[in-house]
Amino acid sequence: MIARLANPRVLLGLALFLVGIVLAFHAWRGPTDAMLVPRVVLTLWCGVALAITLVELSHATAMSSRSLSPLPVLMAAVLIAAIAVASLGFLLPSLPLVALTLWLFRLRRPLPLAVGTLVIAGGLWFLFHHVLLIRLPTLLTSGAV
Amino acid sequence: MDIILAAVGNAFTWQALLAIVVGTWTGIIIGGLPGLGSVVGLTIFLPFTFGMDTITSMALLIGVYCGSVYGGSITAILINTPGTPQSAATTFDGYPMTQQGRVDEALGWATFASFFGGVLSCVILILCAPQLAKFAVNFGSIEVFALICLAMMCIVGVSKGSVMKGLICGMIGFFLAMVGSDPITGGDRFTFGSYTLSSGFTLIPVVVGAFALSEVFVRFSSRNDPGATIPEAKLRFPGPGECFKRLIELIRGSFIGSFVGALPGTGAAAAAFMSYATAQKLSPRRDRLGQGEPDGLIASESSNNAVTGSSFIPTLALGIPGDVVTAMMMGAMVIHGITPGVRLMVDQAETVYSLFVVLIIVNVAMLILSKPSISLFRYLFRLHQGYVMAAIIMFSFIGAATVRGNPLDLVVAAVTGIFAYALRRADYPLAPLVIGMVLGPELESSLRRGLLIERGEFLGFFTHSTISMTLFSLLVLVIVWAVWSAIAQRRRSSVNTRHVETDAAK
Repeated sequence: MIARLANPRVLLGLALFLVGIVLAFHAWRGPTDAMLVPRVVLTLWCGVALAITLVELSHATAMSSRSLSPLPVLMAAVLIAAIAVASLGFLLPSLPLVALTLWLFRLRRPLPLAVGTLVIAGGLWFLFHHVLLIRLPTLLTSGAV
Repeated sequence: MDIILAAVGNAFTWQALLAIVVGTWTGIIIGGLPGLGSVVGLTIFLPFTFGMDTITSMALLIGVYCGSVYGGSITAILINTPGTPQSAATTFDGYPMTQQGRVDEALGWATFASFFGGVLSCVILILCAPQLAKFAVNFGSIEVFALICLAMMCIVGVSKGSVMKGLICGMIGFFLAMVGSDPITGGDRFTFGSYTLSSGFTLIPVVVGAFALSEVFVRFSSRNDPGATIPEAKLRFPGPGECFKRLIELIRGSFIGSFVGALPGTGAAAAAFMSYATAQKLSPRRDRLGQGEPDGLIASESSNNAVTGSSFIPTLALGIPGDVVTAMMMGAMVIHGITPGVRLMVDQAETVYSLFVVLIIVNVAMLILSKPSISLFRYLFRLHQGYVMAAIIMFSFIGAATVRGNPLDLVVAAVTGIFAYALRRADYPLAPLVIGMVLGPELESSLRRGLLIERGEFLGFFTHSTISMTLFSLLVLVIVWAVWSAIAQRRRSSVNTRHVETDAAK
């Protein structure tokens, strides 16, 4: 049973159900007028999420051991870069993110990696921010970087 | 007449024509790269449109949309790998033609059928959208509520995978749209005291995360490198005699695509398969279908491109997008000052007619640009996948960051990307999430206004008018149909499992 619960599909259904419960609790405590539709939607959400969890549980099989994938590294890098843009501007977080993405996609030779990083991150930033004048978040108040 | 002349003038500016050429050409290329497709193409080009005027920006995006639907067929014919799901049916006859050494003929038929379907659906759009808009002016809050319920149910009902998973994705999208201010009282909802959350979530960062970023994660996890050898190919258009011989197939496929495209939630992939299935029954050369018969190619390509025009009918006339692509187009329209809905044809008639003209020009541009695009694929498939994926991440970031200049949108896109990856891995359809986010606010506003009209009596909605009664009856039918087909599918799969078990026991 515990092994079945550890199945990612079951865990996702369970997570959706728990999030639904928290949000529905919040909606039922709020003002009746503004929370009328959210209450209906979130109550339905909880019901459907519970049904999905039970169906997934009945179909779930125990997970076999899996090899570690570097995908969480890419996901974390994207998330960290997205958070960092607000304080560091667009360019600085983009350069390491693009370099890491290219490296993870097995582009390991130094020259293509460096050129790719500069062209994709630096080039696109320059094109939008300085040529097309579509302003991206900046580090300096002058807006140069 | 003055409006039409003004619309033609708007569409024939050098900026709009350049946008059409660039959009269509790159759309063809993006559509041809397996796994990318219309939504990723629109994500890449959306940030470019922020400095442009309304018609030029829409010309660029319509070009990308139509070009990408056609582009998917090129790789379907050349290497048996459809660039987009819309072109999956094209492989049935397209690739056998390539194997038989008739690749030039296959590409010619695919291009001509795409052009024919696209133009015919534009004509249908021009004829139908104003009539539907005229009729829709009679819609009040209750009718709009019934219509949106019906559209949402259709979308959930036809979404891939389980209906329950489609439903919950729709509710997640609906919930995301509710964060921020209450549309009637203006009070804060689900902001948890955070100032940044009080502005709510906008559509574009969610779409960018759900489709573009999650695609990068899916590609990374599967390491699906479409490296392939592309055969030498040229384009040979069919002659007038050949076209006349297959005129019925061209018209049939285009009409099926136009009809299916106007229905919410169906899309070009469903249209192509329906059209192919019809050709298997009605084509005079049906015995050769699947063995390299141009009728199969015509059925698939004319119908999937016919969807591009007709999918704008509910979007423009009712403000109800049929699928994710039109939802994204609708989001882009709102950014550029066009508000799709029942008043659009009255308030912004010149802009709407300009879009119709742009759609026709895009189809002509597609016909002209197909030849140089095909020769490019030989070089594109040698490009390292890492460059494409890194560029998609950058374009996603730029798109999310520039919509309203709020850095929170970047975090929303990144979190949505990770969450959407988990949903995709567990077979949840993502289209209802986007549609729920687009239609949710209108559904809530119309419900609450309707309750004020009916003095809090929800049952009064069902008997409010003939239109509302009809729409609610259709809604009941769709629900019954969805439940019935789910039960039938479960029965079929259990019977199949029993057969397999019996065979294994033998």
